[in-house]
Amino acid sequence: MQTWLPRLRRELFATPLDGLISLLLIGVLSALGAAFVHWMLFQAQWAVIQANSTLFALGRYPIEQQWRLWLLTALLTAATGLSWGLLRGRRWPANDRIAAGLVVALALLAPLLLALQPLIQLRWWLLTALLLLSRWAAGHWGAGLPPLLRRGWPLIWPLLYLAGLLLISGGLGLAPVPPSDWGGLLLTLLEASFAILLCFPMGVLLALGRRSHLPLLRWGSVVYIEFIRGAPLITLLFLGQNILGFLLPGGLAPDRVWRAAWVLTFFAAAYVAEAVRSGLAALPAGQLEAARALGLAMPQALIHVVLPQALRVALPATVGQFITLLQDTTLLSLIGLLDLLGTARTVMANPEFLGKNAEVYLVLAVLFWCCCAALGLGSRALEHRLNPNRSLTTTPQA
Amino acid sequence: MTSTAANPPASGVMIEARGVEKWYPNGYHALRGVDLTVHQGEVVVIMGPSGSGKSTFIRTFNALEDFQKGSIVVDGMPLSNDVRNIDAIRREVGMVFQQFNLFPHLTVLQNLTLAPVLVRKRPRAEVEQQALQLLERVGIQEQAHKYPGQLSGGQQQRVAIARSLCMEPRIMLFDEPTSALDPEMVQEVLEVMQELASDGITMVVVTHEVRFARKVASRVVLMAEGQVVEVAPPEQFFSNPRHERSKQFLSQIA
Repeated sequence: MQTWLPRLRRELFATPLDGLISLLLIGVLSALGAAFVHWMLFQAQWAVIQANSTLFALGRYPIEQQWRLWLLTALLTAATGLSWGLLRGRRWPANDRIAAGLVVALALLAPLLLALQPLIQLRWWLLTALLLLSRWAAGHWGAGLPPLLRRGWPLIWPLLYLAGLLLISGGLGLAPVPPSDWGGLLLTLLEASFAILLCFPMGVLLALGRRSHLPLLRWGSVVYIEFIRGAPLITLLFLGQNILGFLLPGGLAPDRVWRAAWVLTFFAAAYVAEAVRSGLAALPAGQLEAARALGLAMPQALIHVVLPQALRVALPATVGQFITLLQDTTLLSLIGLLDLLGTARTVMANPEFLGKNAEVYLVLAVLFWCCCAALGLGSRALEHRLNPNRSLTTTPQA
Repeated sequence: MTSTAANPPASGVMIEARGVEKWYPNGYHALRGVDLTVHQGEVVVIMGPSGSGKSTFIRTFNALEDFQKGSIVVDGMPLSNDVRNIDAIRREVGMVFQQFNLFPHLTVLQNLTLAPVLVRKRPRAEVEQQALQLLERVGIQEQAHKYPGQLSGGQQQRVAIARSLCMEPRIMLFDEPTSALDPEMVQEVLEVMQELASDGITMVVVTHEVRFARKVASRVVLMAEGQVVEVAPPEQFFSNPRHERSKQFLSQIA
């Protein structure tokens, strides 16, 4: 029980100078921490968040249609729980227990903090139960499913994404909700996820194009990548609002929301391309040679040998790009869209909540941090899964 | 692959290279008019100092290197820029590299089955059967489900040989297959190659292993400065070389 004391001594107070620095830092940090906690508890007025939580979440999405978003959330929750369970089986390793504990704690705490209505609070709890129940069910019975179903399961995500777009925008008998009514976290996540999903394949194609031996393809890719990387995103966002209407076929970019989504996609694709290119460059030339010498055609060699290895190397940089992209969506508020930041600015402009900027910005920062942390965790899990105890290098270097 | 070593059909020409010249993009003249004929069932060992063009030369046989002048015919198919011809040749020509070049993201078994399933469109179950037999033949069947990174260099190179054999090639090219190996692992790879040779498959081997060349080669080729200096049966080449350059080379590696 006493082992922490000598360790503390060794790490913080090994020499007089170490001790002095440690004391100084402890003093500064505790003063800052105390001031922050005091502000959180006694000075901050959280009514601005409590009164506007729906606005922050959904923007001006019509109240009578909000059940569609609850349904979508339930579908996503169930799919997450099922995927989680299929991945882990019956085991509940420490990480899973911590994650489950955090989810439950959030479900219990959040309604209190946000002063939610009882009905919404109840839905929150039901969602939590759904997540854990589907995790348990998929873990318990997942192994008995036919292998085709298990292997094809990830296809649920693109299907759900399309279903989500349908639920959000309406059509097929659902009342249409125009994109101008989408807002808040909903709009932020929609723009970011759309751009992330599309910029990845585009980036891979651009990276391959940049290494192609066809001069037109190579130079086209280079010019595109360097032009995009040389221009600030905000400039491109304004440019896109003006030119995408006639550059893209009608229907693809009918309004400001979709034009912005395309600009984000085209912008991120250039950066993803560079990340993928670094992965391609890290691959020894012998890998492609061996694949070709075995008779694989170029597309087969790329799909089965080159890309699986290159993308694994490029994964951390690519996910870093996705995280940047998520944060870049805040620029949408500058072109007049009501994303999370745009919504926040309208709330702060409301005379009723004047001067509550600190509370609003803090909540925004925490929300963004949660989303980015989730992306980072997901990427690390994927990296780990792609690399179960195998060494990266094929060969010892002679 | 039954043993046909007793009577190799001398008539079949597997590789016919005539006046092959290659310049690298930087202007370096790597091959200066190389001629070589390899008959079916022959084991041709190419030796020579580094930079003599021997690796470049055998890499032209399956179009991993291009060449600017001369002609190469492999198993009756002329090497040209026709992509279909190149793919057809690569299906019949196996290659083993100095650096093994196994696919590190696939298991040993998947390394073997990838090309036969994708390129020859053979049923996976059948290819897996054959792959396991080949792994047994090179003595590493118990490693089938490991990843290349978990094997020793000698084991990796034996997997690489089995991977090439799984395509049932008519010709096997070896590009310094033991040069990247620790000394104690060289023998296990050479033994596998020797067994292959006795099965009668046509082989072209770039190597510095004199004992292997003496024991297994049908003919030894000495290359220097991008040209063939001498072609001779091994006993004659090692004990009584005709050319000054050959004598000099042999005295350097002895």
